[in-house]
Amino acid sequence: MVTNDATILKIKHDVLYEVAKLAWEGKMDEKSEIPYKMIPGPQAQFRCCIYKEREIIRQRVRLAEGLCPSGKDSRNVVQVIGAACEECPIASYVVTDNCRKCMGKACQNSCNFGAITMGEHRAHIDPNKCKECGKCAQACPYNAIAHLERPCKKACPVDAITYDEYGICIIDENKCIQCGACIHSCPFGAIGSKTFLVDVINLIRAGKRVVAMIAPSIEGQFGKDITVSSWRTALKKIGFADLIDVGLGGDMTAAYEAEEWAEAYKEGKKMTTSCCPAFVNMIKQHFPQLMDHVSTTVSPMCAVSRMLKAQDPGTIAVFIGPCIAKKSETLDLNIMDNADYALTIGEIRAMMRAKGVELEPEPNEDQQASTFGKRFGNGGGVTAAVLECMAEKGIDNNVNVMKCNGAAECKKALLLLRAGKLPADFIEGMACVGGCVGGPSKHKTEMEAKKDRDTLIGQADARQVYENLKQYPMDSFSMHRK
Amino acid sequence: MRVTICIGSACHLKGSREIIQQLQNLVSQHGLTGQVDLNGAFCSGNCMENGVCVTVDDDLIAVKPEGVQEFFEKEILGRL
Repeated sequence: MVTNDATILKIKHDVLYEVAKLAWEGKMDEKSEIPYKMIPGPQAQFRCCIYKEREIIRQRVRLAEGLCPSGKDSRNVVQVIGAACEECPIASYVVTDNCRKCMGKACQNSCNFGAITMGEHRAHIDPNKCKECGKCAQACPYNAIAHLERPCKKACPVDAITYDEYGICIIDENKCIQCGACIHSCPFGAIGSKTFLVDVINLIRAGKRVVAMIAPSIEGQFGKDITVSSWRTALKKIGFADLIDVGLGGDMTAAYEAEEWAEAYKEGKKMTTSCCPAFVNMIKQHFPQLMDHVSTTVSPMCAVSRMLKAQDPGTIAVFIGPCIAKKSETLDLNIMDNADYALTIGEIRAMMRAKGVELEPEPNEDQQASTFGKRFGNGGGVTAAVLECMAEKGIDNNVNVMKCNGAAECKKALLLLRAGKLPADFIEGMACVGGCVGGPSKHKTEMEAKKDRDTLIGQADARQVYENLKQYPMDSFSMHRK
Repeated sequence: MRVTICIGSACHLKGSREIIQQLQNLVSQHGLTGQVDLNGAFCSGNCMENGVCVTVDDDLIAVKPEGVQEFFEKEILGRL
């Protein structure tokens, strides 16, 4: 998988590994050694000097511990690593070498703001006059005008990224929906997320019953031989008490959402899904007047956590997946008995590596979810599962669902809903393109993992959703928010 | 009103989960779900010996599981 930060990923993972290692050994007080260990010097490799490189590592260590990199406390999960931000040029439209200073001057003639003058060799755009409308770039017959936008800003679906007076990236926390899209968009690796890695390690070391819950989108991420059982074996080796496939939670959420949808459809009320935390954050922060339309069924993560805690109230439930926004869902304490912590795939792998544990091929011995629950993490998967449940219950499932693939589509659908012009009856909101399998902390892209994912899910039996749920104590906990 | 309870491992071991559950119940019993927003927080490094780190608006208060009722009456009801 190639991301904008492909080369930096190794450094990011090495930091997580070093922090995990110290945490497992109970030696977090030695964390100030990590920058020296990772950047021994005397030559700088990436930045101006080793002192800056070490400062960046120090800030990354803070983030890995769950602290704000800068020391200034803020509640956002997604954080800017100030020392790593390269203050990318902000001038948005620039004239490149392709300019022939032609006689037609389509650029100049297309500009309504008088921002373009002719320099000695090429046209020049006055950044103070330019309104960034893009007309000059469209008009130039030589494609000589480039649209330079900071990769972080470009990746943000809710326009939460701005800069301070020095050009350093700032995240507007009132706008940020914690989707994590900016994290791997930065070619300098200057954005990351706070982690619960040290907390989870400490609680395992304290002898607590910590249960892992893996996202259904994980199947296929590590090849066709790494099954849910492979994960269970590996995580038990590092001290987790057990592992549950959150695909089971997918079945639970679908079953309850089916009833809610049927009810809403009868009343002519439009409704949205509630399982994607970044989508829910988008509604809460950008479309608060639509909160009544959000399904009150809890997310698959919360459903499984509630089941675990109903069985043993002392259980600490830890979600593992490709998602950053799930971390923000665990911080919403208005929802009772949700997962205690959420980790990304990279974070759990660092915890395993630090213990010398690898994922090993193993046949899958225990199927906990139907194939519908297992597909919950694919774009359209939630809709397919809910419609299946309606069909299983004999409810007419001929409803119109707008399946939003990625945050931009989500935003469009919500704008239509707010304006009262949504043509569909329901909205399936997935803030990541492709669904959870396209999450920011994925190991492989949806396309790279597709074949293996299909193989693994293809090995599961064809049990129905309600038939699967009969095996679980559904009456021991509530499936509704609150 | 924004109430933030630390869910870091140190506070967890000091009973933050119990405090959260008690607060969730108290908030709903008093019908304050619309007014009191309960949030978790990563460990901010301000660990206090005499309880779990809880912030109400911007004030940091140490709370023990057995002192939740008193905390709720004084710091939450008292400020509304």
